[in-house]
Amino acid sequence: MGALVDVSHIRNFCIVAHIDHGKSTLADRLLELTHAVADRDMRAQYLDRMDLERERGITIKAQAVRLTHEGYELNLIDTPGHVDFTYEVSRSLEACEGAVLLVDAAQGLEAQTLANFHLARDAGLTIVPALNKIDLPAAEPDQRAKELADLLDRDPDDILRISAKTGEGVEQLLKSVIEHVPAPVGDPEAPLRALVFDSMFDPYRGVIASVRVKDGELPSRARIFLMATGVESDAEEAGVMAPEPLPVDVLGPGEVGYLVTGLKDVHQAKVGDTITLAGKHAATEPLPGYREPKPMVWSGLFPNEGGDYSELRESLDRLKLSDSALSYEPETSQALGFGFRAGFLGLLHMDIVKERLEREFDLELIATAPNVEFHVIRGEETIVVHNPAEMPLPGTYDRVEEPIVFATVITPKEYLGAVLDLCQSRRGELVNTTFLTPERAEVHYMLPLAEIVFDFFDQLKSSTRGYASLDYEPWGYQESDVVRVDVLLHGEPVDAFSTIVHRSKAYPYGKKMTERLRELIPRQLFDVAIQAAIGSKIIARETVKAKRKDVLAKCYGGDITRKRKLLEEQKKGKARLRKVGRVDVPQEAFIAALRADEGAKKK
Amino acid sequence: MRGLLDAAGIYVHVPFCLTRCGYCDFNAYAGLDHLASRYVAALLREAELAAPAWEGEEIVSVFLGGGTPTTLEVADLKALLVRLRASYAVTTDAEVTIEANPDTVDEPKLAGLREAGYSRLSMGAQSFDRSVLAALERVHQPESVVKAFRAARAVGYDNVNLDLIYGAAGETVESWERTLEEAIGLSPEHVSAYALTIEPATALGRQVSRGDTPAPDPDLQAEMFETACGLLGDAGYGHYEVSNWAKPGYECRHNLGYWERRPYVGLGAGAHAYRDGRRWWNVRPPEEYLSMVERGELPVGGSEELEPADAYLEEVFLRLRILQGIPASWVEDGRADPYLESGLLLDDDGNLIPTERGMLLLNELVLGLTAN
Repeated sequence: MGALVDVSHIRNFCIVAHIDHGKSTLADRLLELTHAVADRDMRAQYLDRMDLERERGITIKAQAVRLTHEGYELNLIDTPGHVDFTYEVSRSLEACEGAVLLVDAAQGLEAQTLANFHLARDAGLTIVPALNKIDLPAAEPDQRAKELADLLDRDPDDILRISAKTGEGVEQLLKSVIEHVPAPVGDPEAPLRALVFDSMFDPYRGVIASVRVKDGELPSRARIFLMATGVESDAEEAGVMAPEPLPVDVLGPGEVGYLVTGLKDVHQAKVGDTITLAGKHAATEPLPGYREPKPMVWSGLFPNEGGDYSELRESLDRLKLSDSALSYEPETSQALGFGFRAGFLGLLHMDIVKERLEREFDLELIATAPNVEFHVIRGEETIVVHNPAEMPLPGTYDRVEEPIVFATVITPKEYLGAVLDLCQSRRGELVNTTFLTPERAEVHYMLPLAEIVFDFFDQLKSSTRGYASLDYEPWGYQESDVVRVDVLLHGEPVDAFSTIVHRSKAYPYGKKMTERLRELIPRQLFDVAIQAAIGSKIIARETVKAKRKDVLAKCYGGDITRKRKLLEEQKKGKARLRKVGRVDVPQEAFIAALRADEGAKKK
Repeated sequence: MRGLLDAAGIYVHVPFCLTRCGYCDFNAYAGLDHLASRYVAALLREAELAAPAWEGEEIVSVFLGGGTPTTLEVADLKALLVRLRASYAVTTDAEVTIEANPDTVDEPKLAGLREAGYSRLSMGAQSFDRSVLAALERVHQPESVVKAFRAARAVGYDNVNLDLIYGAAGETVESWERTLEEAIGLSPEHVSAYALTIEPATALGRQVSRGDTPAPDPDLQAEMFETACGLLGDAGYGHYEVSNWAKPGYECRHNLGYWERRPYVGLGAGAHAYRDGRRWWNVRPPEEYLSMVERGELPVGGSEELEPADAYLEEVFLRLRILQGIPASWVEDGRADPYLESGLLLDDDGNLIPTERGMLLLNELVLGLTAN
């Protein structure tokens, strides 16, 4: 293959949809309709490659697949749909001229759809709206069509009605894409500029970038130059996913495909970078909009008891090869031993990394409670803190700033009160409330990211019976009365439990942790004080009373062996204890205290 | 009594019981009475088979435990003792103890036992509180204990132990006090008071793990222990082992043998034996025991040679249990200090002895003093 299709016959589009609104099923139908996959090779959610994606029903990495239909080359770019990956979404959108806005005819618009719709519109994409799942008994297509039409300022009759499951209306949707989405434009004579909208690491072929050629032509083998990272490489192969990889001689302007870059590290071909040719044919200006991946959430990662630090390090190093947004540095915890402080794009990204480490690398991990990045201002100096241990003592700085996000919640109106209460209790500042339809409200709040990182999403879901949806985008930093709360055992701080919280949340946190630890810390030969403190000020206290009895009652009948073995067992148990000052604590106790939150977070 | 440095003992295990008590994890079975006569024959045979190895060893104590040895006929118990005396060098003044369940002995039976040579009686009283007995799934009533005890006295028993258990579900310190007072009122020569321990493989253990019965509260048991120390001490009983008290001169010679690591013969299903740094034990299931002995084999089920570290650990924990204490020189420098400072140990002229509080935390002491 390699014959360049006339640019006027190319359509690049993506599907914007909320989780579970049927994006992957629609993609499956499109593959079938265009005979891209032989029937016998077809499987559900064909484009979602990672086990994790298929299980969670979400797309983590963007995929681009080429379909051909009635002489047209249709490039379907499957974008990630989660708030953690907003930047990745925006880069995928840059590769498209159009977007199918897919909305569940029963559920209606959700916050995430709305957020991605705004991104798509801001990127200048042509929107092809469609209601999905019209075969469902609960579908309310008329009402949802009106809702969508209001949002798009169009006639409700323009909204397509399809069922990705049964295939109804899918062909018409494809026609509509061909008819309405403009063909790409690009100058074939200009120096090559190709946008990297995804990059992945393949153990056999190295870094493979998903690219959209904007200007010029990308030959199959070329010496390329990545303009943001400044790296040169000999690319080995260009091709398209049809949907299996198919090499081509050249990718022309407007085309979407993959490039085997010859690189060995995804950090050298980051999402948003511009590929050009090395040497005198290089472009002078990169494509706009490149951004370094910026972690928003941090957490300590430690090997579980008996786990191996070096194994964790190797696994992280390998995972990083395929996840350019992941960052980490070594961290030592008195309670948990050697580990890493890792930065993530968001909570989902954190969960994905943890799960991949456990699943793909067979590790057992302990993660400390996630926290956000604080800015501590001391005179002219700004200290960036993403580990509670780095937080200076109270009184040694002028102020602290914390990250604020602009959050959008869409909720049925009967839960509006609950949503407002929740946001209010999370130190939120109401921006406005509007009604998408008489039944559904869209609420905008300024919220500290730290509050969202905590358990906001679960609370939102449980207080709205799962009906509300959330999206947010970073807004900036704002001064805040946050403090570091330490948890002390017999006067010694336990690093794993230090946290940075708003002063109003310090006491509840301190009380919760001291109570929890009182249950988990085994009794010692002396009373153990468990305290929560802000600096030197104690805000909560519990006591583990000294143990009074630990003796084998009966020791007769001649079976001394068994008694000795019991003592030896107890001795082995003691050897596994970690010492915090004078207090012996089994690592399980720390883990259980940390896991208690994790357990509460699972849906 | 402590002079009998190398003198040995014989333990004979009788695995039969009328009913199985909820807390008991000993090698004991209800409903196997039909094996009794075969079992007695096997004991006689085993005694003979094992004897050559113990030739020349002076035997200063015999202990029939179980199970419930008094489920056997007096004639059989007598024959057993005759055989032991014939096959082993049992001294004439040996302490010969038999455990008795209050419901399995009456005056004629006790008279028979005494006449047969069982000079010391250890009675499983457990409690004088009906509800505690019920919680322990003991079938006897407090009155049976009093009755059996008086019968023992009437037939001339002048060395009687009462076994007590504290800390069962629902028992209060006050109830425990009453049990102790009742026991003291009978004026036995010896009292054993055990904190109820929940063993997983028992009916009670399963109830606790299912949450049907609360596990004993260790703090309450500690208080009960202290109550026992107080009341028994005031009544003239010397505290000579963590769970044992005796009037002067009535300490159990046989049990001291275990704790002083003196040699002992073990006869019967699951019985343990010890000599010269080696421990071995018989097979536990009665049928297996019977068929091995009937084939003329020693029914050994397992053994271990003690490594120096094992022997050290045993020596330390057993010596601490009987308040004999251990020389300070056995302990690495500084290891004993926290326990001396916190009053769990006393330094008696270079000998480290647990205090009353220390006894309650003996495992901690042993681990703390021997940790490496």
